[in-house]
Amino acid sequence: MVAVVLLTATGTGQARLQHAGKFEVQQADTAGFLRLGKERGYETALYMPNERLVVFYASRIERSKDDFFSSTYSIYAVRNRGDLEHGVVRARFGSLGRVSLRFRPSGRMHKRDPQPGCEGGSGITEEGTFVGHLSFRGEGNYFHVSSAKGEAYISHSPRLRCEKGQALESHPRSLRKYVAPIPLLPDEYSIALLYASTRSHGRYVGITATHPEGSPPGAGVQLGIVEPRHGMAIGHGVYLNGPPGTLRTSLPGAHPATATLAPPAPFYGEAAYSEESDAWTGTLGVKLAGLRLPLTGPGFHVHLCVVNPLRDRDGCDFFRTEPPPEQRPARRGSALR
Amino acid sequence: MRMRQAAVAVLALAALSCFPGGAGAKVGHGRPPAKQWIDFELEGSNGYSIHVSVNPRRHLILQVTKEGFAAEYMTRDVLADTDRVKAKLLGLGTISVRFHPRGSVRHPLLPGCGRKRPTVQPGVVRGTIRFAGEREYTKVKVREAEAAIEEPVRWFCRYGVKFEPNPREREWVSKFSAGVLGVSFLARKYRPGMIEGGQVLYWAETGEAFETASGRVPLTIYRHLRVPAPASTFRDARPEHLTVSPPPPFSGTGALARTPESVFTWGGDLSVQFPGLDPIPLAGPSFESGYCLRESGCFRQHADYP
Repeated sequence: MVAVVLLTATGTGQARLQHAGKFEVQQADTAGFLRLGKERGYETALYMPNERLVVFYASRIERSKDDFFSSTYSIYAVRNRGDLEHGVVRARFGSLGRVSLRFRPSGRMHKRDPQPGCEGGSGITEEGTFVGHLSFRGEGNYFHVSSAKGEAYISHSPRLRCEKGQALESHPRSLRKYVAPIPLLPDEYSIALLYASTRSHGRYVGITATHPEGSPPGAGVQLGIVEPRHGMAIGHGVYLNGPPGTLRTSLPGAHPATATLAPPAPFYGEAAYSEESDAWTGTLGVKLAGLRLPLTGPGFHVHLCVVNPLRDRDGCDFFRTEPPPEQRPARRGSALR
Repeated sequence: MRMRQAAVAVLALAALSCFPGGAGAKVGHGRPPAKQWIDFELEGSNGYSIHVSVNPRRHLILQVTKEGFAAEYMTRDVLADTDRVKAKLLGLGTISVRFHPRGSVRHPLLPGCGRKRPTVQPGVVRGTIRFAGEREYTKVKVREAEAAIEEPVRWFCRYGVKFEPNPREREWVSKFSAGVLGVSFLARKYRPGMIEGGQVLYWAETGEAFETASGRVPLTIYRHLRVPAPASTFRDARPEHLTVSPPPPFSGTGALARTPESVFTWGGDLSVQFPGLDPIPLAGPSFESGYCLRESGCFRQHADYP
């Protein structure tokens, strides 16, 4: 479950390739996983999506009594200096921790056939345990993981020959890409959408709130934070469906356009946007694992889109023409139609 | 008798009244297989017309009409005979008659139904015919009525029923609809001169199903209202806000407005009064609503379920 959430939230899910030729190659790969258990409400794990990356991740899903839910994650990605093919994981998470582990297979193995449209050898998953040293404290000493005991496996995938479009995309080799959030909230069908972002000292912070046509009061909110630190890429994120009062905007055609954003925990406070001053002000912030971050200020640039569903059938589509969030500049300006 | 009441969808009601096509047995005193209808006309009090049909599946449909109002009371005929009808309309009446042919079989030509003609045996029904609508908004009590047994060629080519929807009513420019289980409201605006009586047509519909504890003899009631009105009763010039204030038997005003949360709320004191019933509210947070512009498309707002 944790893995599924993380893969979805960080864009590391396996999408289909689109190549020009009739056939394409799915490269051989090795991945590993070690479940580390629950730590201060977060499910934690060590994940090796390929031979070169080691990722510590923590995620938490909460559901309120009103059936509103929030999903929070923190990801720390570094290079693997060991040889995962031979079961060795060796990495340093800056001042936050380090791992030096060796995989010991239990003897239980699972074979899996290539996915439809591909041919080659069978994939093999070995169950077992990791032995060695593991310590991870997290930011502000939020986590303190020191045991490598837990469910573990290593999965070997052979090189496959696939029909065009059937090969699975390999995980990004870039640390930053691995921890970057992907937009989970569709701008399509949204009739009110607010996007505020800032980029400072290499840290990207972006918050999106959207209300789809026809949905009840409330808004979906997604926060993504990406930053590099001493050879490590760190990503934090929140996705939630907020209750009534989360996003309020002026109506289409009203000038100056205004908006207020007041999402529930882990956010706190409220932010206001005014088209007149192009200012993003207020007390809005977020509390994540070991991190308390204000989410307003002059460094933020805001897009606000409020449309009439009969005039703009595609909803607020200004994301569609833009690059993914981690490549997107935090531009100035608002888009009000 | 214990009764259970439940709202029903209009489609379910339509399904109840569907019937097979084709011709088969002789008209008149023949026994099943019956693909025949019995129809008879009655005159209700207070100016209402009453039409009773029994379809080949032995569903009895009693239809009350007056101007833009129509109500259908549907139950089962407990007899399988083609020429006899016996049905109880829970608390509202009884129909127990036998058909007696009178005159020769006819094959009338129906416009728009091709060369094939239905077979119609005129006659009378005799027995007990007793019906009183809710709070006696109309009633009838007779021992005999003119009737016909008809073997139609196709289901929509019936001699006994006039079904001529005006195709121009589909040429709306904008429309608004709102509904909750068992109740629906529709307003359509047209270009000037497109329809008679105004530029806006309002419809209200409600359906109810009753059944006994055994569930064996149900009664389904479907009420329908259609009222033309001037354009000033449907104000939708601003896309974020519209109001409707249809004429009687509607009362009050309904308003669709977009809130700062981009939710379209449908509220107001709009209601409709069907004959024999208390006013039925047609606006509120439990209603789903939708608005369409012919040139642009539609949007819908889902209900605010607690």
